[in-house]
Amino acid sequence: MTASLRNVAIVAFAQRPIVTRDEHRMATEMLYPVVREALAQAGVERDAVEYQISASTDYLDGRPFGFVAALDVMGSWPPRQDLHLEMDGAFAAYYGWVKLQAGDVDSVLVATHGKTSEGQPERIFNLALDPYYHAPLGLDPISTSALQASAYMARTGITDADLARIVARNRAAGARNPDAQLREAVPAEVLQRAPFHVRPLRESYLPALGETATCLVLAAEGVAERLCERPVWIHGAHHASELQTLGARDLSRSASARLAAERALALAGLASAAEVDLIELSATTPVEELILLDALGLDGRSPDGPVVNPSGGPLCGHPIMSTGAIRLGEAFRQLAGRAGARQLPQASHAIAHGAQGHCLQQNVCFVLGTERRWR
Amino acid sequence: MKRPVAVVGVGQTKHAARRSDCSIPGLVREAIDRALLDAGLEHRDIDAVIVGKAPDMLEGVAQPEQFLVGALGGHLKPVLRVHTAGSVGASTAIAAAVHVQSGLYDRVLAVAFEKQSEGNTMWALSPSLPFTPPLVAGAGGFFAPYCRAYIKKTGAPMHIGPMIAANARENAARNEYAHLREPMTIEDVMSSPMLWEPIRYLETCPSSDGAVALVIANEEQARRGPRKPAWIKGAASYAEAMWVPGRDQVSPLAGKVCARHVYAQAGIHNPWAEIQTAEIYVPFSWFEAMWLENLGFCAEGEGWKVIDRGDQRFGRHLPVNPSGGVLCTNPIGASGMLRLGEAALQVMGRAGAHQVDGVQHALGHAYGGGAQYFAMWIVGAAV
Repeated sequence: MTASLRNVAIVAFAQRPIVTRDEHRMATEMLYPVVREALAQAGVERDAVEYQISASTDYLDGRPFGFVAALDVMGSWPPRQDLHLEMDGAFAAYYGWVKLQAGDVDSVLVATHGKTSEGQPERIFNLALDPYYHAPLGLDPISTSALQASAYMARTGITDADLARIVARNRAAGARNPDAQLREAVPAEVLQRAPFHVRPLRESYLPALGETATCLVLAAEGVAERLCERPVWIHGAHHASELQTLGARDLSRSASARLAAERALALAGLASAAEVDLIELSATTPVEELILLDALGLDGRSPDGPVVNPSGGPLCGHPIMSTGAIRLGEAFRQLAGRAGARQLPQASHAIAHGAQGHCLQQNVCFVLGTERRWR
Repeated sequence: MKRPVAVVGVGQTKHAARRSDCSIPGLVREAIDRALLDAGLEHRDIDAVIVGKAPDMLEGVAQPEQFLVGALGGHLKPVLRVHTAGSVGASTAIAAAVHVQSGLYDRVLAVAFEKQSEGNTMWALSPSLPFTPPLVAGAGGFFAPYCRAYIKKTGAPMHIGPMIAANARENAARNEYAHLREPMTIEDVMSSPMLWEPIRYLETCPSSDGAVALVIANEEQARRGPRKPAWIKGAASYAEAMWVPGRDQVSPLAGKVCARHVYAQAGIHNPWAEIQTAEIYVPFSWFEAMWLENLGFCAEGEGWKVIDRGDQRFGRHLPVNPSGGVLCTNPIGASGMLRLGEAALQVMGRAGAHQVDGVQHALGHAYGGGAQYFAMWIVGAAV
């Protein structure tokens, strides 16, 4: 492990408000304006950014090579140094950070897209399960999340009322976020009256599936300061995966999230996640939020500690492939003082988390700060 | 400042139309086990796994790296999935090299695979898109017009494509892992059915099951390893937009820019003189002539003349695709990494019966999309 890394910052973030269905725009039409807006925030044209990464998945695009269409709206002329990851944008941002550490480029653009309304995500992500043993059972992301929630509730004794309170807190936060899909605060008692979708998850405990497009710009020290008045520096980042096989994992814990967080915090020189001001988690159910906070070494039921999902989180809008990128974007907005009505006072450190796969199979964790990490 | 990075292990499967003897995890594992054995390493020595494959519709599994985490040895490790169309195998290996170059990782496993017998490639590659007339012609139907444009632009005679195809098959006969190894003559090719003018049946790549894995490591590991490493002297991946007025689809700018960038990193001024062998992505015969020009091995319009003289044949000036290349083995997602891995084997001096003499520098190349994505590296025998 290298003792000293290159200081790399988020210098711009743009997204479209998350909606259930953007009826009049194709994915690329949603992506183009956010690429332009991110570049405008940085005050540069596309030529000034040396490397680009797009994040999307063919099955959501309903076609092979869906990302090829994104090339045009990302401004890929003249030809650009490029990579596409079939992953959530937070993982693409991680690779952008690695590429910047390699030292031969100083700036990276990360673009994400995905139109969940044009397919059936529950059927698509059934196809992500082991095709020989698991997919034929008909499991989908909600039923596997429900298995996980049952395992967690059985281990910890957490109650349905606790879950309702977590969702209510997220919904109240989402009401202050103009980019959120669900913008009404709902009291816990009301949420708790919703019918079960798959026990123990009520319909009100599930993420609002939506669609959007996002664009992040990352830049290394020396360039970042020119593109952004208040760059938000990456102090540490790591990711990890675990076996998909549901029966081979303790679903009530996330070993990969714990590992990713520990490594990211160690790089950041922080002893504990409790030292940050806010945490943006890709938690698509209240139980995932608790499991992820456990993995960060925090007690999800305690009123003290960092503010969790001041944006409202994925429970107020889950645009698949962009959800993790938005967590980074929201952490950037908070630390750069751009979070509007949801702005936290004097936040200096944040954790942003991305996840994908059934039952939090893959997790990426970033520690961000307002000051440079390395001299 | 730049850290040396090397390939220290190469493993590939036996490629075939249908590897019904193994599952997708089994196929991937066959390549990985061979690569680790080659590097003298075990799974516990690997810091991260970078996986590449072409569209998920080819096997009908969405983001299959997730169910493959166990087979990849990726449990509690970073696992990243790359997809850059046909170039994906190459861009995946390059992304793995970037991980090592960053200093964050010491030993990274790059894996690419396709098990095309699990699905229907023609269906998967023939989407019906809004506002676009459906070709229902797969990749061959898409690329045939590019070949026709090349022939029209250069006046190349019609026997060039068949010459390329027959030579590829002759090369594959020396490669024990290749899918199609039966010899064929230029006349055999010319009498095979026309699929997409000017591409005949025997001038098109097969549909294969196969996987390849590379262990990519830092200088310390490379010097400690059991074998001579292949040093990565230059690597890059570029892409260009589809709808640019005047875009040259026959010799795309992204390919030229990528090659120039990689040659500059490797200190190569004259690729024809300084590179001893090249593994380039030729899914349809004519692309061998087209890429020789695009990569700067000869002037524009001269690629077919190199073929006509036979200068790219095994034992001649610049053996191209001594492994037999994509025309003889095409597990799509793996094809690009096979090019880069074969280039590495050539500088390691371990390419077996298809070893080219005295290789100091070798090029590995792949392309994808509508000839929009390019990924390539130069490997060298010396650091």
